[in-house]
Amino acid sequence: MLFKIAWKNVWRSRGRSLVVIGSIIVGVWALLFGTGFMNGFMVGYMANIIDHDISNIQIHNPEFKKDYDVKYWIKDGKKKAEAMREWEGVRGATTRIIVSGMISSPKKASGVQIRGIDLENESKVTSLDSIINEGTYFEGIKRNPIIIGSKLAENLSVKLRSKVVLTFNDGHGNITAGAFRIVGIVKSSSIAISETYAFVRQEDLTKLIDLGDVVHEIAILTEPQIEEATIVAQYHKMFNNDLAESWREIAPELAVMDEMYGSMLYVLMGIILTALIFGIVNTMLMAVLERFRELGMLMAVGMNKVRVYLMILVETVFLGIVGAPLGLLVGWLTIYYYRINGVDLSNYSEGLESFGYASILYPYVDTNVYFIVTIGVIITTVIAALYPAWKAVKLKPVEALHKL
Amino acid sequence: MSVIKAKNITKVYTETAVPVYALNGVTLNVEEGEFTAIVGPSGCGKTTLLNILGGLDNPTEGSVEVANTDITGMKDNKLIDFRLNNIGFVFQAYNLIPVLTNLENVEFIMLLQKRDKKERQERAMDLLDQMGIADKANQRPSELSGGQQQRVAVARALASKPKFILADEPTANLDSKATSQLLDMMAQMNKEENATFVFATHDQRVIDKARRVVTLVDGKVESDVTR
Repeated sequence: MLFKIAWKNVWRSRGRSLVVIGSIIVGVWALLFGTGFMNGFMVGYMANIIDHDISNIQIHNPEFKKDYDVKYWIKDGKKKAEAMREWEGVRGATTRIIVSGMISSPKKASGVQIRGIDLENESKVTSLDSIINEGTYFEGIKRNPIIIGSKLAENLSVKLRSKVVLTFNDGHGNITAGAFRIVGIVKSSSIAISETYAFVRQEDLTKLIDLGDVVHEIAILTEPQIEEATIVAQYHKMFNNDLAESWREIAPELAVMDEMYGSMLYVLMGIILTALIFGIVNTMLMAVLERFRELGMLMAVGMNKVRVYLMILVETVFLGIVGAPLGLLVGWLTIYYYRINGVDLSNYSEGLESFGYASILYPYVDTNVYFIVTIGVIITTVIAALYPAWKAVKLKPVEALHKL
Repeated sequence: MSVIKAKNITKVYTETAVPVYALNGVTLNVEEGEFTAIVGPSGCGKTTLLNILGGLDNPTEGSVEVANTDITGMKDNKLIDFRLNNIGFVFQAYNLIPVLTNLENVEFIMLLQKRDKKERQERAMDLLDQMGIADKANQRPSELSGGQQQRVAVARALASKPKFILADEPTANLDSKATSQLLDMMAQMNKEENATFVFATHDQRVIDKARRVVTLVDGKVESDVTR
């Protein structure tokens, strides 16, 4: 009957309880959507960089990354990549020749990282072919085709089929140059792809650097459920002379962001739930104060303090029990809708893209967040109940009974 | 057998500049089955005495024994349990739980006593029947008249099978017809269940029904008449 009284007491002041329940619903919804929104930013940003640029794992000659000297290639790189394509947990492996140089148009010149790519495997690993905005993926131009980013094309004032010249040091330290014709322009929110990379066919670059059939980088795409560290360890076990690194080591700033966004959930939860505590305390305190006489009567006729305390506690928890699932449902529905349709931020796309963010955002919330939020709300209501319940048990029946 | 033995009760309020003696050396014994009215003008100490007899307030001096147990100075939680099992209360403003039905209001006190559901429901229904409001069992207190609500309150006070019932101005908010009906029912319960009633009142109709009338003036017993 204690639960029955508590439940009925919740609905005694229907409007007031609904306001608190509404604030719990809005709080939980805001928490979920805020987390989903931040996750969407983060997942979109990381997916963009990992999927289209750095991949899950990269392999280099240990000396290569010191100053990107072309003479430090991976021994038997192509054979190793081929072997890795058969490994469990590896979705794709592609090889690249990487050379730093200059790209010049008739009007302007710019520094560039030239990437000699394996067309078939590159598209499997980085889906480069999927982000072609203009032109084709190396089709239609037979001799020396090149793909560059949209920003670089704008900087060089070139367009499709324009001619550009790549200048760089070959494998013997001699300056060499090659004329290329633009076959495609890629558009990406990744600054590296958009501004600093130039993609050419591997065989075209092989001829120009004159080092034979060598590669400087193997990029690996892993299955989503696979920990990169497992593949890295397996690689080191088999080929201990190379440097294999996961994206966390290649781009530590991404790893830091990943962790930071993870802890943002708790910060957001702390802020929202603290605000909720004050709202609930206020309501419950009012509920206790206006029932002072009734509580006094209950204690006079024999309801002990533990029961009175529990009754107020249960009443408060009921508010959370009604509000939290509704908030979770509304939050889940919102996330579900936008997960499919995306949040269109194209009005701010220029600014977002300059920071590497996509203009369509897909909110995403892990299942465990729903549990964390539920537990958070329950703890919040219990904390919020403590003061009003204490206030209730502190009253003296003889005084409470004579209050008007 | 005395159910209440109050010895030399003094209650002094010292919050004011001059100490106020609400009760000044009151000694009172109440025997089982009595129908007693404590009367006197406003401010004579009736309610204070009732609160002290019911363990809701402590005397400044003196002692109160209820069923041979000294309740003065008893710890709060122990006193609440003691009240639950030994003392019934009827308040001027009825003080029923508005969210419960009338039946549940009567049952509630037995629930606190941890009696089983069947016994609770049977006794609650029986008491409501004796009070003439069995047909209102499943209604809320707000749907009843003042007199009917006070009858529910009396049924609630009797439900726990207390040693005695303290009623503070139980008829103050009732019209003559409701007062008369309520008093008849209380008298009937006094006779049939041997329930001991102690009223604090200045209502002449209650005084006329009482078999013993204790008159307080300025915190002292002026007269104690048994009829």
